[in-house]
Amino acid sequence: MQVFGGFTQYVAVFENEAFWSSIGRVLLFGAVQVPIMLGIALILALLLDSPLVRGSKFFRLAFFAPYAVPSVIAAIMWGFLYSPNLSPFTGVTQSVDFLSAGNVLWSIANVVTWVYVGYNMLIIYSALLAIPSEIYEAARLDGASQLRIAWSIKIPLVVPALVLTGIFSIIGTLQLLAEPQVFQSFTSAVTSTFTPNLTIYSTASVPNISLAAAMSVVLALATFVLSFTVLKLTQRRTAA
Amino acid sequence: MAITTVARAGAMAALAALALTACSTGGTDAPGAAGGDCAPSDGPVELTFTSWLPGIDEAVAIWNDENPDVQVTVQTGPNGNGGTYQNFFNQLEAGNAPDLGQIEFDALPNFRVQDGLENIAACEGIVEAESQFVDWTWSQVTFGEEDAVYAIPQDTGPMALFYRADLFEAAGIEIPETWEDYRAAAAQIREEGGYINNFSQSDINAFAGLVWQTGGEWFTNDGDAWEVSLTGDESLQVAEYWQGMIEDDLVAKYPPWTDEWNAAYNSSEIWTWLSAVWGANTILSGAPDTAGNWAVAPMPQWEAGESAAGNWGGSTTAVLKGSDHPYEAAQFALWLNTDADALTAMNRTAQIYPATVEGADLPVFSEGVEFYGGQKIYEVFAAAGAEVDPDFTWGPTMTQVYNDVADGFSGALSGSGTLMDALESGQASTISALEAASIPVKE
Repeated sequence: MQVFGGFTQYVAVFENEAFWSSIGRVLLFGAVQVPIMLGIALILALLLDSPLVRGSKFFRLAFFAPYAVPSVIAAIMWGFLYSPNLSPFTGVTQSVDFLSAGNVLWSIANVVTWVYVGYNMLIIYSALLAIPSEIYEAARLDGASQLRIAWSIKIPLVVPALVLTGIFSIIGTLQLLAEPQVFQSFTSAVTSTFTPNLTIYSTASVPNISLAAAMSVVLALATFVLSFTVLKLTQRRTAA
Repeated sequence: MAITTVARAGAMAALAALALTACSTGGTDAPGAAGGDCAPSDGPVELTFTSWLPGIDEAVAIWNDENPDVQVTVQTGPNGNGGTYQNFFNQLEAGNAPDLGQIEFDALPNFRVQDGLENIAACEGIVEAESQFVDWTWSQVTFGEEDAVYAIPQDTGPMALFYRADLFEAAGIEIPETWEDYRAAAAQIREEGGYINNFSQSDINAFAGLVWQTGGEWFTNDGDAWEVSLTGDESLQVAEYWQGMIEDDLVAKYPPWTDEWNAAYNSSEIWTWLSAVWGANTILSGAPDTAGNWAVAPMPQWEAGESAAGNWGGSTTAVLKGSDHPYEAAQFALWLNTDADALTAMNRTAQIYPATVEGADLPVFSEGVEFYGGQKIYEVFAAAGAEVDPDFTWGPTMTQVYNDVADGFSGALSGSGTLMDALESGQASTISALEAASIPVKE
């Protein structure tokens, strides 16, 4: 029997401690992982774009290749690499527990970074290719070094690409599901409420579909608000 | 103009989402149409059956040969809490569930509360079959309601101690008869570099089996309201025992049912497993290199000389709501779980122990099992089965209970909180989950 409950499920969402702590966890994850990933992506893109580096075609493909691996497969692969007994590097994994409660979030961050860094690099790289070569010529005539060109010309001109990849990454972070879920079969440290989407998933399996649906709406709104805020903040900065 | 259209479409989508989630699930059981009618269908019938028993298709093939007009197609899935129940709930919500599904005893109340089970009491021969089944299994499928049968019991899961006979003998350690011995043996085994057992973070139903052995209960229902007692004395006693083992590093902490876990058994790192009769299959498929070295003994006891046993798992075959052919489905479910050939086939492929009284007398249950050094292991489980307290009751939200307690256990394994804390927070969240589903709870 179903009755119209008005906003009762939404009230329940806001009272649900596990849901909010999972949001807190992915926000922490995003605050650390997104800048690192985009930083690496930017450095790789600048290196590819630099006239000093040979074999840029090969490296471009090599860096991008992990993105072709489905994220579930990537998580399984890394899960085995991290696992204390099944890893090919047991010498490392038996002394450092990558899958402990304290480390597992950052081990997952590493997987996500590995998969997406090439993708973000490619977006930034294509923005670099769109910079007209006259600007570089002018800079070189003024005696600017490659480093100086990168810092003063390339980076400011690819900021829109960085904002775009940043927004994509924030959305991806809030929706983290596949990697932690796969990691549940490698470690006990990933609980059923580890990320917001896992919380929704396990709530739906209770089954409490109404509450899970309300959580999904709240998560979607939160994602929207966060992306929009980041967009506004960065636009104001670039305008100023 | 274009912008307003987009904005309006967005607003509509948001409204639709709100409306969808505004329905809170209220009420528990709409009074079931007691029995109802259950008539055979005309013409040939095709049924679908979802199960995770290894080799279930062999038993089904026997039925399909004998019943050309009622053909059953098997769909396999992951074990219940591993995903099949979630699939069932989703399929029920979508109105396209399979005709028949394997559901463990502990999950049946959850499906009953969600109105996912067809009452097959009116189907020919079902009510009469009661006497063929072990008493406690029948009360689990009727919930004590009049004119109601919601599933046919399939197997039971009396628990015992699987142990590595070769390692125990080589190390000169006695097979533990009490929990105190078990702890002492654990310390000795740790000195040998192994672990006596793996404390499973997510097998909360196995933990319940230990509480069951101790004489505890997690749920009681007096007909009006549920009483939740995850933090009962016996429950805490078991939790404190294992908390001590965890703190002293006497048990391994692998997530169960994973490659890592299998590898730990296969490489002789872990020496025992407290499991149910069907666990015999888990070991022989997960740790093939240890063939011939395992044996089975009764569970350790709290007091020397006792013979209490717990139960872990055991399944039923249920006719899911919305089946077009409940009559044929019920007949198949009854056949599958009472026919001697079907029971023998299921034991050969999945090592399950039938829920019927006569099933225990099938020749297959008095044979020695090669993997277990030729030991007649089913005799141990038959003895344990006779000691299982028949009154243990499962609550209506076990999936939630397992999730919440498992999250707490996970914390305990990584050093934040204890098993006792996990049970306490599980107690609180279970009560609020019951209240959220408008199921009456006694405080």
